[in-house]
Amino acid sequence: MVQDTINVGIGLSTNKDPVVAAKEALQQARIRLHQEHINLAIVFSTVDLACAILLKTIGLSLSGVPIIGCSAAAIISHQGIFKHGLVIMLLSLPDEVYFNTACVKEIKTKTSLTAGRVLADKLLYGFHQVKRNISIIFSDGLMEEGSNLIQGLQERLGISFPLVGASASDNLTFRKTYLYFNQEIFNDAACGILFGGKLNFGLGIKHGWKPLGKPRYVTRSSGNIVHEIDNAPAIKVYEEYLACNLSELRKKLKRVSILYPIGIYLSGEEEYLLRNLLSVEDDGSLIFQGNVPCESLIRLMIGTKESCLAATQAALDDAKRGLMARQTKFVFVFDSISRYILLGRNAYKELEIIKAGLGKDTPIIGIYTYGEQAPLKSINYQGRAYFHNQTVNILGVGGFN
Amino acid sequence: MLSVGHLILLGLAFSITVISLAGVLFLKMGKIKQLQNAVDKLKKSLDEMDEQAKLIVRTDMELNKTQEELDKKIAGLYGLQILSRAISTTLEENQIFKTIKAGHLEDLGFEKACGLLWNDKEKKFVLQLNIGYPEEEINAITSFVDKHKEAFQNLIKDEKTLSSISPDISLKERINQIFAVHAFVVSPILPKERGKGFLFVGTENTDVTITEGDEELITILGHQIGQALENARLFENTWQAHQELEKKVEERTHQLTLALEELKKVSNRKTDFVSAVSHELRTPLTSIKGYASILLTGKLGKVPEDVRERLEKINRHSDELTHLVNDLLDISRIESGRMTMKPEAQDLRNIVAGVLDLLSAQLKEKYINTQVNVAGDALTVLADASQINRVFINLIGNAIKFTPEKGKITISSHKAGDRVEVDIADNGCGIPAEAQEAIFEEFYRVDNPINQQVKGTGLGLTLVKRIIEAQGGKIWVKSKVGEGSTFSFTLPHPA
Repeated sequence: MVQDTINVGIGLSTNKDPVVAAKEALQQARIRLHQEHINLAIVFSTVDLACAILLKTIGLSLSGVPIIGCSAAAIISHQGIFKHGLVIMLLSLPDEVYFNTACVKEIKTKTSLTAGRVLADKLLYGFHQVKRNISIIFSDGLMEEGSNLIQGLQERLGISFPLVGASASDNLTFRKTYLYFNQEIFNDAACGILFGGKLNFGLGIKHGWKPLGKPRYVTRSSGNIVHEIDNAPAIKVYEEYLACNLSELRKKLKRVSILYPIGIYLSGEEEYLLRNLLSVEDDGSLIFQGNVPCESLIRLMIGTKESCLAATQAALDDAKRGLMARQTKFVFVFDSISRYILLGRNAYKELEIIKAGLGKDTPIIGIYTYGEQAPLKSINYQGRAYFHNQTVNILGVGGFN
Repeated sequence: MLSVGHLILLGLAFSITVISLAGVLFLKMGKIKQLQNAVDKLKKSLDEMDEQAKLIVRTDMELNKTQEELDKKIAGLYGLQILSRAISTTLEENQIFKTIKAGHLEDLGFEKACGLLWNDKEKKFVLQLNIGYPEEEINAITSFVDKHKEAFQNLIKDEKTLSSISPDISLKERINQIFAVHAFVVSPILPKERGKGFLFVGTENTDVTITEGDEELITILGHQIGQALENARLFENTWQAHQELEKKVEERTHQLTLALEELKKVSNRKTDFVSAVSHELRTPLTSIKGYASILLTGKLGKVPEDVRERLEKINRHSDELTHLVNDLLDISRIESGRMTMKPEAQDLRNIVAGVLDLLSAQLKEKYINTQVNVAGDALTVLADASQINRVFINLIGNAIKFTPEKGKITISSHKAGDRVEVDIADNGCGIPAEAQEAIFEEFYRVDNPINQQVKGTGLGLTLVKRIIEAQGGKIWVKSKVGEGSTFSFTLPHPA
């Protein structure tokens, strides 16, 4: 019998033993999949479970099914948000849906740009005659020049090709993040899925931060390092707004990074493109998470819990609009770790908003990330994918039926 | 060639143009000035707005910091409350530390913890709790603690909580290194007696700064653990004492059961023996009494006076001995269950009247006044007719015996629940307290002048007790020396 719909089974475990956790999560996922044929497995776990034996256990149990995923500071499923745990999504896809998975390792050696190109080439393998829909990319959260990886991917997949991604995270120690590909676990890598055929999706991406103060121009920058703003050392902006010097700023860096990122003005976009402050150089240069082009018009941004939650609702509305009233089969949520920290005890409210909008039984799988990648205009397929900070990406996937 | 007129016209036109241009320029200059003013105003507004933005950011920063601290405190208190509840409900010492989970610790803002308690036998701190440390790290930690045990003992002695923000903490850097943390709090665990120790919590997160609030939370947690340990130890001691007591009670019960069984065997043997001996005694006694009676009639020849006296003595003593043997036989029958009781409704007034009539001679002899108060709802008892008579004969007979001349005996009854209580009171010499239980034992006789004068078998009250108990009743005495005695017994009411 030909399968005509997408079937999904999600399993979760909070067991501390990776083998037990893998078995528990797989068992749940299989039960929910109602013994359908498994085509693809998505695996997200917190770093305490990120080990080779986890992937081996899953791999041996699924025998040959492609596995893809990454580590995170916390995992998301429709069952809740977990600081320790494993979530597995098993997908059973109809014959009209095509996909390919690929992985690129040793990015530092290859450079991000080349790695992006290599990954795209691998993903495109065997896809010549098939209509491509969307690509989902997971990358090392500690990778420098993440924007270049996207650029490399776009060079091959197409500038306007919808590309959604999440940077893997760890337990906020920023030491090591992990990528899962089949039965192996990697650092300094990126992996992805390319979907094609009869697949429909809707993407919403929002952050909720608002501009504050007067607009300024980046007058000297290289990649993610901003040397000068309005012809003065870049640090001056933060020094003025926060009334603190370099050493004080360094002490407050984490809070400042989350609460007051800079926003790059992009013509036609509803929201500014955020860039988190990562560190401050002795010469007053600011290093951001993501590139800040020279001559960019920037503003200091400010966000609150309320604006954050309002953005989640707006992102969900966008995703639902993109699906054009088709039934949502499953949802990916790539949520910035900064939002998790900012929302604190209210972090669950984001998930509640999503569940309220999609129905409490809609399968949801996701992670808290160190960075998100998504097109700026998701609906019309013409938007170019950018590296984002502090956003919530909601990707709803549905069939054509 | 241009004429003068042309030249004049040209000059005029030029002048008009210049004037016009000058006018336009003047107007433009005014406009530019206006625009410049507007730009200046806008720039000023923008600068002012930027200054306001700075104020907003600074205020927002402070608000966020406060909110963050408040959130942290709330989460910590919430975690502490959950943990306290779990710890305080644990009564097994080795389970107390096991109730502390990584999730609890995270609520308190830490991800690593270890707890160590002093072991007097091993003379070192022994690990009780480990959260977040692999084996090799925890081994290094226990070695470090052992090496610096005096420092940790002093911490316990001083009942002091130490943390990354404590001044004068010499081991701070070493602790950070060995325990692999960025910030930490160490709090003593102080149960009242043995096995004191300390709780260490820490975090690798470089953004965390320990606050006084953190120190307070961990100190409270340390106290809670100490209190729980103390409770568990108390419970353990009590439980062990209880177990020992139960064991002892069991042993004693077993010993008593064995003794009781032995006693029963002895008692049965005694009953059998008494029964056998009594039976054997009755035949010769009957013969003795018979022959003595025949001799006394003089049918076998005239009996001299001194022989008659002795024969009468033989006859009287034979009667007493028969009486004694009969009583003994009855007691042994009741004890062995061989005596059949026929419980029937008995009218107490009739029984009492009959017995008083039977004993009227002795009553008259001592001028004893009797009073019978048998109440309306306690007129009848359920008892064997012949045995209940024996009870009254014995008790009223005893009362007469110990009541002085012109004394008084009161016989009364009243309802006591589903039973009838009968009281036979006299104002005789009374029974000493120490003898009040023993008088119901076989052959026990109270040491008093009356008993020395009047002979008795010492079996009367024993028999009465056996009869009453065999019919489901109880008997007891209340007495005061010199004031009299009241013998009370209960029997079922024939409802």
